[in-house]
Amino acid sequence: MAPTVSGDVDEKVWGAAVPSIAALERELARLRRAAGAHAKEVTDAAEGSHAIARAAVLNLVVYADRDVHAMRAARTALRLSLRHPSRVIVVYGDRSREGADVEVRLHCHVPRADETTHVYYEQVLARVRGDADDRIASVVIPLLVPDLPVFLWWTGTPPQDTRRFDDLIALADRLIVDSSDFARPDRMVPVIASLATRQRGQRFGVTDLNWTRLTPWRELLAAFFDVEAWRPCLDEIVGVRAGFSVDMDGRDIHPSQALLLVGWLASRLRWQTKGHLAPSEAGGLLFRLLRRDGGPIDVRIRPRFENGIEPGDTSGVRVQARHAGSLYEFVLKRAPDPRHITASVIVDGDTRSLRVVPLPSPGVEELLREELAIVGNDHVFEEALHALVALA
Amino acid sequence: MSRATSGFAASSESGSRVTTSGRTAATASGREEANPLKEGLRLQRVPKPATLVLFGGSGDLTRRKLMPALYNLALQRLLPASFAVVGAARSAQSDDEFRTELHDAVAEFSRTKPINEEVWEAFARNIRFVATPDDAGYDALRAALDRVDADVGTNGNRLFYLATPPPAYVPIIRAIGEHSLRGPGWSRVVVEKPFGRDLRSAMDLTNIVHEVFREDEVFRIDHYLGKETVQNILVLRFANGIFEPIWNRQYVDHVQITVAESLGVEERADYYEHAGAMRDIVQNHVLQLMALVGMEPPVAFDDRAVRDEKVKVLRALRPITEREVGARTVRAQYGRGYIEGKAVPAYREERGVARDSQTESFVALRCFIDNWRWEGIPFYIRTGKRLPKRSTEIAIRFRVAPHRIFDKTASEGLDANELVLRIQPDEGISLTFGAKVPVQGLRIRTVNMDFVYGASFMVDAPDAYETLIIDALRGDATLFTRRDEVEQQWQFVDPIIAAWSRGVPAVASYAAGSWGPTEADTLIERDGRSWRRP
Repeated sequence: MAPTVSGDVDEKVWGAAVPSIAALERELARLRRAAGAHAKEVTDAAEGSHAIARAAVLNLVVYADRDVHAMRAARTALRLSLRHPSRVIVVYGDRSREGADVEVRLHCHVPRADETTHVYYEQVLARVRGDADDRIASVVIPLLVPDLPVFLWWTGTPPQDTRRFDDLIALADRLIVDSSDFARPDRMVPVIASLATRQRGQRFGVTDLNWTRLTPWRELLAAFFDVEAWRPCLDEIVGVRAGFSVDMDGRDIHPSQALLLVGWLASRLRWQTKGHLAPSEAGGLLFRLLRRDGGPIDVRIRPRFENGIEPGDTSGVRVQARHAGSLYEFVLKRAPDPRHITASVIVDGDTRSLRVVPLPSPGVEELLREELAIVGNDHVFEEALHALVALA
Repeated sequence: MSRATSGFAASSESGSRVTTSGRTAATASGREEANPLKEGLRLQRVPKPATLVLFGGSGDLTRRKLMPALYNLALQRLLPASFAVVGAARSAQSDDEFRTELHDAVAEFSRTKPINEEVWEAFARNIRFVATPDDAGYDALRAALDRVDADVGTNGNRLFYLATPPPAYVPIIRAIGEHSLRGPGWSRVVVEKPFGRDLRSAMDLTNIVHEVFREDEVFRIDHYLGKETVQNILVLRFANGIFEPIWNRQYVDHVQITVAESLGVEERADYYEHAGAMRDIVQNHVLQLMALVGMEPPVAFDDRAVRDEKVKVLRALRPITEREVGARTVRAQYGRGYIEGKAVPAYREERGVARDSQTESFVALRCFIDNWRWEGIPFYIRTGKRLPKRSTEIAIRFRVAPHRIFDKTASEGLDANELVLRIQPDEGISLTFGAKVPVQGLRIRTVNMDFVYGASFMVDAPDAYETLIIDALRGDATLFTRRDEVEQQWQFVDPIIAAWSRGVPAVASYAAGSWGPTEADTLIERDGRSWRRP
């Protein structure tokens, strides 16, 4: 999978070029028949062979303006196809040739993740060159499989006030972004918040894969408070510390996950904001929130260097509460190694409970898989985001 | 850990002590919602803190199924923050010996390997063992459970799991009552199958269980049908607008239920000789399928409403009287034959089977559900061992089109429409309908529209015991059999077994690897119909 040279796409990945959408549909039908004939040969020995199934449960539109993102989308979609069979339409906006002649080229392909399965999905590449923003939707609309939900995965930073983004988002039921890919990850909150605000009145749901990465952390934090003895601590929290990973020289600062985690706690527990996010040492953040009863909560978000963790990933969380005259600390940390979380409860320095669970490091396809299972809005995410907007 | 005592002692005081009548369950679910961090659609539904009390702690079921399931739940972060396992058995061993034994069992039988030692070690910390050879042992068990509540924070919630052979059920249940092993939180008991061997014994067992547990605290295992399958059938029927209007005697000609196995009795001859296909498969599995396909729409998608409707179908089953047993039932044993090209012995030649055994390895029935929806519509059932292939399916055969406008030659290859719910293997749904053969004049043929769950949603189904344990911990009884359900099942089956024991009809025979005896074909052909080839 070498990167493409001088704007030509790798036809092994993307399939042959076709001149029109009608030709593309004909080519897909031909590929389907060919795949079906092949499957029949394979299974004819077995009694009652089934025809190959064209299964589709969703449309996935991917916008990429970098070749690596387009290739990653193709790889991810292939692995996803088994669980979320779909038609994938990758729009590759080759913006390096801005000003050149406008050109739209279509390629299609029916890849199969695994020769033994009878499922395939359809992959379409629309490569757009030059200043073609206003034409993109006219290519995508006829390619969508009717009546199935449309997921828009926007790689990179969603731009403000551009035709290409506005037109595609108008087609989408759900927008997926990854704030780790943003050019300025530290500006994640305002960017996503503006999307979430725009989204009012429109019908699409928004999600950030950095929120998806938090799911196991949220699960484990929530589980502490199923224990009745610890439930009251939720109303008596005095401090939250969240760490996120940075690379060795501390250059890339991606606090999105840590911020979303705090935003989640604040929105669920109905904390109020007091003051704004204040930068502290080495890219950290220090601020104060108020509990429902007005008690202060000191929040500290700190970058930490840890081996084996992607920059931006959560490295640990510590929630402190004063309850019945004791200091309760609910701690999640990556121990004994980055692939496990140790969840412990410490009361006045004594460890009261300890368990270890594996923490798989999900790739983009696992994250996307979780997102594609959700068709509506994720209100918990939106509320966490709004809690952060109040701080920004 | 011992210093932790004070922290949790407070909890069992403040934790609700409501243990009377139906209140516990209601408060329990209310409490779950009271944790504001658990809202939202992504978080897995982790049960609340609890202790699993495992009777038969050193038995085969514990080693092969239950511990590997618990360990895999821990790996998937599906166990609560506070969770303990207390094993109980007659012979004594230390906590550490018990842990080592379980560790080795998990290492051998876990579906994920190799075993993650970090996770196991943290999980094993809360495993205890108590020997219960006598009354003093049960008192020690109570003390151990109270200590676990204090040390681990399990809130006095206890799930008692009877993983012992059936003869031990009664003494253990009585001991749970006599030694007050129920905790201050909720208590539930899981009883493994078989639950009784006829109506009388099932009722007796329930009555003894009820001395200690309310019916909504009793979880009778019957996991032939996976949770996915049950839900798939209910979703197909009740989430779609197009199937329910034709799901009745106006449009349906008949229903066929097939549960075919290619295996013989294998290692289970001891049990099977006393059970037979009727007790092994028909009483529970087949009647469950029949209830799911025949039931009225439940008022809600919860365990109570669904089970209410299932029981109504079972109550409407037309009894097979002694007079009719010859015409409506077939029983048979397999003879020698071939399975997938290999020669296999006859049933009576299997190890552990009596040479003159009368136990049936094949059953076919002609059943009716006497209610408005199904009056007069036959449900043909067949199940057997050593049939040509493993297949479980429900086929709904619709009536033919009322008026034929196409001439006979054109529609020669045309059958009535059929909707098949395939359960094993390759769970899916297919619908047959007539279509015009392209070109060559007007000819109509039956074609098949096929949907396979695995192809549209490729998800690994969780292990059955993992689902069962989580459901029991959460108090979701959908997959478990209720008292009236078990009793209705036996009530239908008992008279047939009784008539058979008097020799009517005689035990027929079929060659291993065939689709059953000719008597079974006659049963359905008398009505002018024939069996499907699954």
